[in-house]
Amino acid sequence: MSLVATADAETLSLTPALARERAGEGTKDVRVMPTVAAQELARGAAPAAVPVLALEDISVAFGGVVALRDVSLRVAEGEIRAVIGPNGAGKSSLLNVVSGLYRPDRGRVRLGDRDFTHVPTSRLAGYGVARTFQNLALFKGLSVLDNVMMGVVHRRRAGFLQQILGTPWARREEAANRAAAEEVTGFLHLTEAKERIAGTLPYGLQKRVELARALVARPKLLLLDEPLAGMTLTEKQELSWHIRNARDSYGTTIVLIEHDIGVVMDLSDRIAVLDHGCKIADGTPDQVRTDQAVIDAYLGVAHDDETELAL
Amino acid sequence: MSTPSLSINANWLTRSRVGVAVLLVIAYGVIPFTGSEYLLDAILTPFLALALAAVGLNVLTGYAGQVSLGSAAFLAVGAYAAYNFNLRIPELPFLVSLVLAGIVAAAVGLVFGLPSLRLRGFYLAVSTLAAQFFVQWALTKFGWFSNDNPSGVIDAPTLTIGGVQISGAARRYVFSVTIVLIATFLTVRLLAAQSGRNFIAVRDHEIAAKVIGVPLLRTKLLAFGVSSFLIGVAGVLWAFAYLRTVEPAGFNLDRSFQILFIIIIGGLASIRGSFLGAAFIVVFPLLLSRVGAALLGNVFDSGVLEMSQRIVIGGLIVGLLIAEPRGLIALVDRLSARILPKLRRPAPQPISPQNYHSQKGVI
Amino acid sequence: MFDYQFFIEVLVGGLLSGVMYSLVAIGFVLIYKTSGVLNFAQGAMLLFAALTFVSLVERGVPFPLALLATLAVMVLLGITIERVILRPLVNQPPITLFMATLGLSYVIEGAAQLLWGAQVHGLDLGINDTPFNVAGVFISQFDLFAAAVAGAMVALFALFFRYTRTGLAFRAVADDQFAALAVGLRLPRVWAAVWTAAGIVAVVAGLLWGARLGVQFSLSLVVLKALPVLVLGGFDSIAGAIVGGLLIGAIEKLAEVYVGPFFGGGIEAWAAYVVALGFLLVRPSGLFGQKLVERA
Repeated sequence: MSLVATADAETLSLTPALARERAGEGTKDVRVMPTVAAQELARGAAPAAVPVLALEDISVAFGGVVALRDVSLRVAEGEIRAVIGPNGAGKSSLLNVVSGLYRPDRGRVRLGDRDFTHVPTSRLAGYGVARTFQNLALFKGLSVLDNVMMGVVHRRRAGFLQQILGTPWARREEAANRAAAEEVTGFLHLTEAKERIAGTLPYGLQKRVELARALVARPKLLLLDEPLAGMTLTEKQELSWHIRNARDSYGTTIVLIEHDIGVVMDLSDRIAVLDHGCKIADGTPDQVRTDQAVIDAYLGVAHDDETELAL
Repeated sequence: MSTPSLSINANWLTRSRVGVAVLLVIAYGVIPFTGSEYLLDAILTPFLALALAAVGLNVLTGYAGQVSLGSAAFLAVGAYAAYNFNLRIPELPFLVSLVLAGIVAAAVGLVFGLPSLRLRGFYLAVSTLAAQFFVQWALTKFGWFSNDNPSGVIDAPTLTIGGVQISGAARRYVFSVTIVLIATFLTVRLLAAQSGRNFIAVRDHEIAAKVIGVPLLRTKLLAFGVSSFLIGVAGVLWAFAYLRTVEPAGFNLDRSFQILFIIIIGGLASIRGSFLGAAFIVVFPLLLSRVGAALLGNVFDSGVLEMSQRIVIGGLIVGLLIAEPRGLIALVDRLSARILPKLRRPAPQPISPQNYHSQKGVI
Repeated sequence: MFDYQFFIEVLVGGLLSGVMYSLVAIGFVLIYKTSGVLNFAQGAMLLFAALTFVSLVERGVPFPLALLATLAVMVLLGITIERVILRPLVNQPPITLFMATLGLSYVIEGAAQLLWGAQVHGLDLGINDTPFNVAGVFISQFDLFAAAVAGAMVALFALFFRYTRTGLAFRAVADDQFAALAVGLRLPRVWAAVWTAAGIVAVVAGLLWGARLGVQFSLSLVVLKALPVLVLGGFDSIAGAIVGGLLIGAIEKLAEVYVGPFFGGGIEAWAAYVVALGFLLVRPSGLFGQKLVERA
């Protein structure tokens, strides 16, 4: 929950330094991003293509505690979709269902053309799904580059004997994965720290490393669980920029859980709002911002002589 | 092999070729010729065997994070398997028997490693105890393993490798050194490759590893298999190069704890630490008995020695876990960083006690 | 013709010996429940208690005084352990704490024998061990006595947990450490009290086991029997420790008598562990333990 007055859209998207970078560098790999679909969605048009992710009537309960109740969600290709709500609303549970860590009691999960009751977690990478975790799931004993390389481990085929012997096949795989990792590391401005042990980095950098690890496989769907939690304003600006850049350059569809409402309003194409496990609103930032149910449950209202802090 | 991540973490020992060369020269060129029989037989040979066992356990517990309290069982399996291969298939060259013994140990390790798929932490530790007790019992109970010798004792015959008799302390030492160096080298290669990274990933955050596609089953089984193989080979050395008469009682729970203590004292996830810890465990009782006898004279008998040993080792374990969880090797590295000015890289960043697991595979 | 009488005899013998296991396991549960530490040193504490008592008695100290002195020593030991070793390690993963208790067990074993010597001592608690004959089945008087003591101890603990403030604090801390902190419970005090309780359990168990096996070094190995009991019963349940102990005791004896001959005997050594292993794979939280929900 952000108790700090959030930056407005302007400062959030562009600081002079970032603007310079954008102008000067450009990204190496540019894919044509289907923003048209996202824009049409924003205007309320029905999504034409198969959604990258579709949740239908997902319900999850632990013992007597209901985490999610009949939640449905559609995420179109190339969207940045935010999921917000008070603590305990079930947002992380939603991501855990999509990544197969929770088994829903009811409902179905659709990843593109594939239909599941329980998503097989170990096959996520093969399906082009990647995620970050709320409490940082870095491999603290590995270097930054090694951590990022782990993001493409599912491409490795050479067995351990080949690795010991150093056969050409094993070496080629290693080099290819290393190159992919180096690229994403550069993309996220982590090159300087790439040999440092992940456990020794400051928190903000660690979050970025986790994002890099999730991006290196060029996932179709990226699930971010509070990627900006615990960050300073500058760090948030930088990481938000990186997140949007990931969508723009790689065409990754992003589902984002976040508490900083300012960031969410600026970054997302559409927002879903959860409260006590149910979805209470779903629409564009403007629609959600003015939705009464959302205001009552979560956002609060700005008064004339003070800026209501987003709760 | 191009793995820059390994060279980055290379340390004052393995970084310079000169350092490695010096090491080899001392190991092969100096010690066998100048070392006394006592040094070779009672100190270096057991040190080498224990160090290899520690490397094996470190792969499993330090790198892959799977706790095992039953490592002595695999020492026993290796020893007895090699004995039986050597005895019943005399045509087999001993080196082949050695490797086969390691493979048998690996197979047993895989079986007892299967619970690791569902168990973690001390639940897994409890299940590895099952291995410990079962193997000890089986080797004592079924006379076939020990060629029907009473109480399962086996007498290792003198080895012959390539026509050369491995008799005498010096030759047994050279044999041990060679096996240990080769095995360690291959292990280091494995740890520096993707498999090593997978081990650390499973140790540090198993769920994240699962999500990104690390094959958990294969990775854990590989850790158990490689670890048991190494410990099995160490068992062969223990039985054939060191004691030459072994019995199941020598592979008891105390021995398992001894190997575990070696890797805690030396440093988890550190190959050099395994050697350092093994050296400590071998040398320490000897030092203690000298010091004790000097200070307390006759009062310091073998019983007192044993108990004092227990107290100091136990105390050291607790002390290290509290104060320097990364083991003695971290202390050594810190010292060498101050002493050796050539070191490009500064001493490892201070890691808070919470992250002691984050000892990267420093070799 | 199946010899029912013999079967009952073996079963009862197993159950009663299982009670002895439960005694040890209860010490574990107390500590695990309130601090998450699996105290491998419980066995060493048992040995220390038994050795202290026996040595005092052998030096002419009267029985009740020796008992009090031993209790005092164990309480002191428990508090020291909590302060010196566990407090600094409080944020470490459980396996680190377990390894620390492993080191601790070595220290205590070494110290106990350094202090009191390494010979075997007999321990006579004044119980005549002629077996009762109940309907043709022979039951050991000593085992019954041990069962009675264990029962009394459990009853006392149950009352303690229910009706005293400290007992209530135990339960609060066992349930949720953070909540306990939030309502103002001083965790270090509770932990000190827990280790004291474990020390007392160690005295009781140490004396009973010492009387049974003789007081010697291998006494500390009873901890190895307690682990399968905990697996079966759940690491955090006293009821589980009792039921688990009974089950393990019974299964062990029955397995030895009925399955053992196929293997040439001696399977007592690992039967309990194989059963525990099976349980771990099927129901890791044990019969009574709490299921852990893993939050990603």
